[in-house]
Amino acid sequence: MQIFKKPNFQFMKYKFIALGISAVVIAIGLINISAGKGLNMGVDFAGGTLVQIRFKSVIPIEELRQSLGEADLGASKIQEVEKGEREYIIRTMLPEEAEDQELEAHVLMGNMVVDALKTQEDQSAVASGMQDLNVIERDRLRTLIASSFPENAETSADAIINLRQSAELKGIIESFDQLEQAGIDAEVLDTLKDKTFLGSMTIKRRETVGPQVGQELREKAAQATVWALIGMLIYIGIRFKFAYGVAAIFTLAHDILVTVGILSLTNREINLPVIAAIMTIVGYSLNDTIVIFDRVRDNLKTLRKLDFESLLDASINQTLSRTVITSGTTFLTVGTLFIFGGEVINDFAFTMIIGVITGTYSSIYMSCSMLTFWKKIFKPKKGLGK
Amino acid sequence: MKKNLQWKIILVLSVIALSIFLAYPPGQKIQLGLDLKGGMHLVLQVVTDDAINTETDQEIIRLQERMKKNDISYSSITKSEDRIGRIILQGFDVTKEREVRDLLDEYFNEWDNSVTGSNATLTIKASAATYFRDQAVRQSIETIRNRVDELGLSEIPIQRQGGPTGERIIVELPGVEDPDRVKDILKTTAQLEWRLVYAGPAPDQETLLVEHGGTVPIEMEILPGDPRRNLGGNYYLVSRVSTVSGKDLRDARRSYDEWNNPAVSFRLSPEAGRRFYKFTSDNLQKPLCVILDKKIINVATIEDRISDTGIIRGFSNPDIVDDLTIALRAGALPATIKYLEERTIGPSLGADSIRKGLISIIIALILIFVFMVFYYKIAGINAVSALILNILILAGALAYFKAHLTLPGIAGIILTIGMAVDANVLVFERIREELNQGKSVLSAIASGFSRAFKTILDANVTTIIAAIFLFQFGTGPIRGFAITLIIGITASMFTAVFVSRLIFDVSFSKKKQRTKLSI
Repeated sequence: MQIFKKPNFQFMKYKFIALGISAVVIAIGLINISAGKGLNMGVDFAGGTLVQIRFKSVIPIEELRQSLGEADLGASKIQEVEKGEREYIIRTMLPEEAEDQELEAHVLMGNMVVDALKTQEDQSAVASGMQDLNVIERDRLRTLIASSFPENAETSADAIINLRQSAELKGIIESFDQLEQAGIDAEVLDTLKDKTFLGSMTIKRRETVGPQVGQELREKAAQATVWALIGMLIYIGIRFKFAYGVAAIFTLAHDILVTVGILSLTNREINLPVIAAIMTIVGYSLNDTIVIFDRVRDNLKTLRKLDFESLLDASINQTLSRTVITSGTTFLTVGTLFIFGGEVINDFAFTMIIGVITGTYSSIYMSCSMLTFWKKIFKPKKGLGK
Repeated sequence: MKKNLQWKIILVLSVIALSIFLAYPPGQKIQLGLDLKGGMHLVLQVVTDDAINTETDQEIIRLQERMKKNDISYSSITKSEDRIGRIILQGFDVTKEREVRDLLDEYFNEWDNSVTGSNATLTIKASAATYFRDQAVRQSIETIRNRVDELGLSEIPIQRQGGPTGERIIVELPGVEDPDRVKDILKTTAQLEWRLVYAGPAPDQETLLVEHGGTVPIEMEILPGDPRRNLGGNYYLVSRVSTVSGKDLRDARRSYDEWNNPAVSFRLSPEAGRRFYKFTSDNLQKPLCVILDKKIINVATIEDRISDTGIIRGFSNPDIVDDLTIALRAGALPATIKYLEERTIGPSLGADSIRKGLISIIIALILIFVFMVFYYKIAGINAVSALILNILILAGALAYFKAHLTLPGIAGIILTIGMAVDANVLVFERIREELNQGKSVLSAIASGFSRAFKTILDANVTTIIAAIFLFQFGTGPIRGFAITLIIGITASMFTAVFVSRLIFDVSFSKKKQRTKLSI
């Protein structure tokens, strides 16, 4: 099977239209970043706290928002995980003025979020010295059971903890009936009912990043990106002519701007995995660009009669099948990750999807257009054909 | 079969065998990162200013003693409030300026001094400050390691961040289910002291000082009661020096007092035991207090002589006692520590991520398989075999380098699956072009591979450059992503170029005539 039997699209004819579209997309993105919604910096970079909580029973998002508002945490962003109003991710950023203050402000804030959501029953149970069966550690549970039932403490404790962590319960035991159904000894269960309670929620993930660390992570991310770009420029400079290196860097800048702009428009969070995705896109897009440039270089030797734009068109057409197939396979895998990969990796997968599309488009339009412009402006004698 | 083909087959088979040997069974051989296995990643800051302050306090006492010994009068010796590590001596007898200078030069040579009129300031030298800060960090690492051991976690990586002058510590604790408890245990300074009580309890500081004319005598200080132990809101006037302290402890365990309330039983070193015996003998019927981290947790009258064993009362909850004894056995922290960064992943979320990651990998693989076979027919099977080998090598390499597989790492594997077939696609498309130009099957394969190789190399190197810088600047999970990408793409050059070629060569070496290629 073949997608294109003998493709002969005149890509370069539409280069101004393409550039216009790119310019508009980038402009909208930049305007949104500077004057609109801005960039949604995650806790990694802005400093703050992220708490992923699963509740024992259904809690509507409005109720959650209200509880947080009462604790002066109304600015928190709440995001539902999966359907069913049971699990949420709550992000609370450090207020700007807190930056230089208390070293552990972010940790305190994380505690505030958790405390704000605890129910009165939780608090009074803890105050009366009962242990939360949805939080307790394996060892402590063993000790607790062992004080009444030394023999089967270990097996009972393991059974309870394993049940709590199973794929069905996802970290929270909803009722003592579930323990009974799982075959926990009735006597042990009676003791547990006496000494423990089932807390209303469990914290599945907590990330708190202080302002200093956030600042450093920002710097590191910027350094990594800049050095990677320099590294690639040097590599292309060695393997190709200088004009190709410049064209490639323009292409990459285009990819980064478009992606960041779309992240801003969709209000997606910028966190460490997203930066990793952007850098991968840079590598991926360059990969595409190089394949085309490589063909251009070959064709300059064999198709001497063609004018430069037609030669570019020919090169793009010759590599078109490959470009489309590789983009397709990468798109398939990244799409799989987007759909099935789960909440934690979702922003990464989304960024990659945008990047694969942009990268493919830009290696055809941006990189080759840049070469024609370079030729028109600098009129080099060698390296850019007739 | 040609001889050089045999060698190539042996090479490929040994790579397969080696990879399987390294990675099987994957559950044991491939280490999981904290985000998959569940656990806690902590970045701690040692507040080394504390160490300088402690040192300054000690030097102030030393200076007071020296001045007294040399019979030089002065009005005050205080710690500077503007600058850390500075002592201000005010109003000394100007006629003895020479002696003061000599004394400062001789006995305080780790401090720069400047004398003007009847005042002098001492500032800690940069080299000495660096030394004390470094010691505080080293000792903190040691203490944290001990505490982690006491928690029953073994082989925990505890690293100092930022080189020899770094003041940060990274601790990675797998399988933590109650992160708040662990954080509290690690953070407790656990400085335990026994001191004499001169006055108190009193609701405010003024009442305490009535007897002393409103000022705190040099050998005493005022400390608050610990609110968590029903001594909140009270102040005590206590001795500035402690007779015995946490350093003298040999052991600390949970026990119960005669009313069956939880208590800490302790044992002191023999030398400290003798000291304590003499001290309690001299101070019978006087009140003695136990101080934890500058808060008074218990006050009792010395009823009897105590030597090397005893108990500390005043706790309501056995869990608090447990956690305190862990900290006491592990030793005190020389400085306060603060949490700069915390990332905790619960075990159920980690397990969930593994499940979702595996499902994604499998679906991605199936999609690619179907597509490649559909599009390239039998040559597609060739590419799929290369891809499977690629994943085997990736697993083997992860196990060999003891790299931690993280969730972004799984994303890296999935991305590799998509991008690794690129090398095959480049080759196959070249072969198709060569066939279209009327070349024979064998020469089309040969020139397809050789002409595509240069492109494959150039294209993959750029992705690897990006990944290397990600690895360089990234932390934990991101490094996991970078490493799977680097290994996966490097392996794809071997599998898609060398192994794929070999599969073609082997399948064509058996029959002489070869006019059709299924591609």
